[in-house]
Amino acid sequence: MTTKRVLALVLALAMCFGLVACGDDGQTPVGGSGDVQPNGPAAVADGDAGTSVDNPIVPAGIEDGETYTWSSALASISTNWNPLDYEDSGSSDIFSPLTDALYSFFFNDSVHPYEGGEIEPFSRYVISPSMAADMPTDITEQVKAEHPDWIPASATSGYAWSIPLREDLYFDTGYHITADTYVQSMKYMLDPKLQNYRATDVYANSNGIVGAEEYCKSGTYALSEFVSSNFGDDEYVNPADFTLTPEGTYQVDGKDVVLDLTSGGNWGSNSLNDYYDAYVDSLPALVAAVDPLKAAANEKGWVYLTPELLTDVQNAIAALQGYDSVEAYAADRGDYAYQEFEEMAFLGMTYPEVAFEDTVGFYAADEYTLVQVFKAGTTGFYLYYGGIQDWLVEPDVYEASLAQDEAGNWYSNYMTSADTSPSYGPYSMTEYQTEKLVHYSRNDSWFGWTDEIHVYQDPVDGLYYRMNQYTDLDYQVVAENSTRKQMFLAGELMSYGLDAEDYDAYGHSEYLKAAPGASIFFITLTGNMEGLQAREAVADFDQSKNDLETITVLNFRKALAISFDKQAFCDEIMPSQTPGYGIFGSQIIYDPDTCGFYRDTEAAKQALCDFYSVDVSEYDSLDDAEASITGYDPETASELYTAAYNDAIAAGYITDADGDGICDQTITLTYACSNNTDRTAKTCQFFNEHIGDSTDGTPFEGKIKFVESAPLGDTEWANALKNGTADFALCGWTGSSMDPFGLLTAYTWDSYSYAAKWYDTTKDMLTLNIDGEDVTMSVYDWAEAVNGNIVTIDGQEYVYGVNEADQDTRVQILAGVEGKLLQCYSYLPFLNDGSKSLLSQQVFYVVDEYIPVLGFGGSTYARFNYSDSEWKTYVDEQIAAHGQLQY
Amino acid sequence: MVKYTIQRLLYMILVFLIITCMCFILIRMLPLPALPPNDPHTEIIQLRRESLGYNKPYMVQFGIFLKNIFTRFDWGISEQLYIGRSVWSVFMEKLPASMIVNLYSILWTIPVGIALGIFAALKKNTWIDYLISTLTMVVISVPSFVYAFLIQYVLCFKLRLFPFVMKGGTDWFSWPMFVSVVPAVLALSFGVIAGFCRTTRAELTEVLTSEFMLLARTKGLTKAQATVRHALRNCFVVIVPGIFGEFIGILGGSLIIERIFAIPGVGGLTLNAINARDYNVFIMSTCFYTAIGLLASLVVDISYGFIDPRIRMGSKK
Repeated sequence: MTTKRVLALVLALAMCFGLVACGDDGQTPVGGSGDVQPNGPAAVADGDAGTSVDNPIVPAGIEDGETYTWSSALASISTNWNPLDYEDSGSSDIFSPLTDALYSFFFNDSVHPYEGGEIEPFSRYVISPSMAADMPTDITEQVKAEHPDWIPASATSGYAWSIPLREDLYFDTGYHITADTYVQSMKYMLDPKLQNYRATDVYANSNGIVGAEEYCKSGTYALSEFVSSNFGDDEYVNPADFTLTPEGTYQVDGKDVVLDLTSGGNWGSNSLNDYYDAYVDSLPALVAAVDPLKAAANEKGWVYLTPELLTDVQNAIAALQGYDSVEAYAADRGDYAYQEFEEMAFLGMTYPEVAFEDTVGFYAADEYTLVQVFKAGTTGFYLYYGGIQDWLVEPDVYEASLAQDEAGNWYSNYMTSADTSPSYGPYSMTEYQTEKLVHYSRNDSWFGWTDEIHVYQDPVDGLYYRMNQYTDLDYQVVAENSTRKQMFLAGELMSYGLDAEDYDAYGHSEYLKAAPGASIFFITLTGNMEGLQAREAVADFDQSKNDLETITVLNFRKALAISFDKQAFCDEIMPSQTPGYGIFGSQIIYDPDTCGFYRDTEAAKQALCDFYSVDVSEYDSLDDAEASITGYDPETASELYTAAYNDAIAAGYITDADGDGICDQTITLTYACSNNTDRTAKTCQFFNEHIGDSTDGTPFEGKIKFVESAPLGDTEWANALKNGTADFALCGWTGSSMDPFGLLTAYTWDSYSYAAKWYDTTKDMLTLNIDGEDVTMSVYDWAEAVNGNIVTIDGQEYVYGVNEADQDTRVQILAGVEGKLLQCYSYLPFLNDGSKSLLSQQVFYVVDEYIPVLGFGGSTYARFNYSDSEWKTYVDEQIAAHGQLQY
Repeated sequence: MVKYTIQRLLYMILVFLIITCMCFILIRMLPLPALPPNDPHTEIIQLRRESLGYNKPYMVQFGIFLKNIFTRFDWGISEQLYIGRSVWSVFMEKLPASMIVNLYSILWTIPVGIALGIFAALKKNTWIDYLISTLTMVVISVPSFVYAFLIQYVLCFKLRLFPFVMKGGTDWFSWPMFVSVVPAVLALSFGVIAGFCRTTRAELTEVLTSEFMLLARTKGLTKAQATVRHALRNCFVVIVPGIFGEFIGILGGSLIIERIFAIPGVGGLTLNAINARDYNVFIMSTCFYTAIGLLASLVVDISYGFIDPRIRMGSKK
């Protein structure tokens, strides 16, 4: 009996231990929905136990009570980060910790596997559901049947998507997020009375939402679009086809033809009013044409065009192009002279009053299913990234934030303080002081603290970790770089962006993080002979001693392209940059869905080898051949300079009167400077010091000089380059890092191209073998075709947009066009943009390689070497020993 | 005196209106920031500008501006920096940080500056006088931001005595806040100390050589008694108005010092308003500084009458 009692006691104890053990498992994070209560503490796993995706090592600081603070300094802090209304890009720094996305970017690893093939972990980004419960479902056919007016009859896919939502989404106010919350937020965003700044993001892009613009402008009169929205194509309207209304004004398709004297339209930032002010004393033809327009303008500066006013605006454009009248202009340019104003004129109309529910393709199919209908087929990256991101608002707080001033304008103070900033992201804002600081702490109601998505497998130790180890996030305003540096060296900041003077001390630090940028900086050379000759024609220009025209000689431009050691320039002048070799930089992604780098493709490598005359057969592989490119070859450059000298002598640009084989003139190249900065001065100094490496022993020895222009301002420097009133600039294009095809238009459209006045992309022909067929068309047409525009050659239509051609073909075209653009020698690739910073010893990044979108993973993937208290002790010790932290 | 004061007040208001009108019109004549071409947001900005009355004539805009101030004390809303927020509330939010730094600064700079000046005057033509005078000239010649960087480097970075930047929060009179503003206060102080020192030394040196001082000594007063009772009182006719001016000046911000020590004050606000072309914030700042300047000069002028009974302003012969 006693034995049985002992056995029973033992079993009971064993059961108790078993239950306790099960209790541990009960803390394991679980995926799916409904496990987290709003405002309640998040369930977390024991940090010692986890090495699996559903039992990861959780961020420290939850059990141990330690804090792990990520401290950053900003030059300024936004004052308004309302996701519906913010205007400055810095706002996203402030609201990002408060938000999450339906689909997020993660590094590829075992938790977020890369579907595009076998690759190294943490070498690409992967798009996975975050607030969404799963990937979206294409329901185009279903929605088309219900709303035939929303989707073209011919469309079968890509227009309408059903997105399932997680059920455990909450704001930190306790507000439960459902599909209706999204719809309500969209209604706020597009509310016509609110005129939210970000509303256009929803409808003005190619993947805009159906009906969003109509609802947003409901009941208002607005200038909706340009009469002709594209340059250089056939989308101009013949003014003879304009409809004349009984009131005597013109219309197109029932919309008023309106000239806005305060807007440059597609011409750029200068409006007709601006041109009028600039040329009021020097261009009487313009003044005579604009005066009647100004007289007819309403208080907004809008002119409803009549037949008489149409002639005036045509004459105004002709005057700006250097002609006395539109007739004279037409003698040179044909019908375009009469139609060019359409690039500046708008179509205006009153939008009918409509209801959101009947109009906007954005609705809740059920409590946790959202339906989004696009104006055009939208798939892959642009569906996930360009769709719903960060503009969800907490309806109760937002309603309370709305106010109206006496003039009837509506304003919202949503997200202008900690109290008005509800969070549905990993952190809650706990303190905000304008232009001083922001402090965040963990938002326990965020589902990501316990799900299976926000987990990664460390590429080194193979263990699983939950993301976002830091418990607190601090932003503070520190405007002075010297102060930031001292604070960093005293252990008060997580990172410090290096200045040029810091590279000697920290350029080889093990804590240095180099982030390459997407942009390429070129030595952009003018080729505008008229402008150069005009400069030479002025009285004080001594043509016997100076020359400007030689810059147009092809061999001279080729020589310049390889005259300078780019790496030496980077080391000496711009240490954060790296040498650049092509039109597109190393970080340009041609396929956002797979994070495919353009420069890694064979076509792109071959294009560079061709341009730099690298014989691939002499190398083991194309990779080796491409890696051998330095863009610096003084010997070849010397030969080219000699050839250029002969060409220039033959063309009569320069002379050799004394027959000594040395050019009589000095070729002075003027840098088109927006401002005279230390960088522009050092650039000219470097060029002057090193041009001799290539010109010594040639007829141009000591005869090429680089000088800075006077400050030309933010816009005029580019015009100076285009017009030939300056000779070169170190410049490039930013943006479109995931759309190099779109970026081609910066080189092929006259409105953007620096070289438009001497390099005609419509006449430079390129033949490519596409699917076994040789296709020949102009560089301009290739660029149009690869961007999805139909190009007709000899009656045959070609189009190679993302929906029409495979990516290999598109990359082939891109590389072909890149090669052609390089060979015009107006853009001499020089630098690849980048930045370098030191990372605090308190933390480390899981990855070493920088990739676009995710960078090094930022604070999300960083892990701490020290808690805040440990860090303080460490810093004290280091400073006691060395005076500052050692980097 | 009362009549004179009223007269000066009326003049002050007139000058204030003239300056405000000029600033208002000039700032409104500046071209608005260019709208980016092909940017869909352009339309929204144009609508906002229209609703804010930018298309009306300047004088009509100025009339509306004055009417709103005098009828509702409404200085308008911020159009760029703090979109939709009352510029008055923004300005008031910034004022304490500037004031606190300036207040701490003058609380010790004035006595120290005057004391050094007295000391130098009493030790005239000794090495002490030469030392103080030379240092004064050096300090006055060097801009305050140079001290700011030096103070930050030595006291905050090398010696770790103070934080690098002003503490966050609004606990203006707490000990941590005081400690955090010490570097900024020091940077602001050197110039003021030097200024008071030089003025005091010059005035006191002159007074000490006056005949009535000789009389005071021959009456049997000690040097200290004669200096305190007679010389100092006379030289304060010049110094005290300067002290009034300093106290009114605490309302103004110091742009460079605020930037270096991350002080969220009115100095930075004004500069940001100019850069962002936030007209209402700029006009509010301009009006404020104009009023402060006019008020300071009025107080200084009137104070002469109180300090020195021999001065009777506004009286007619």
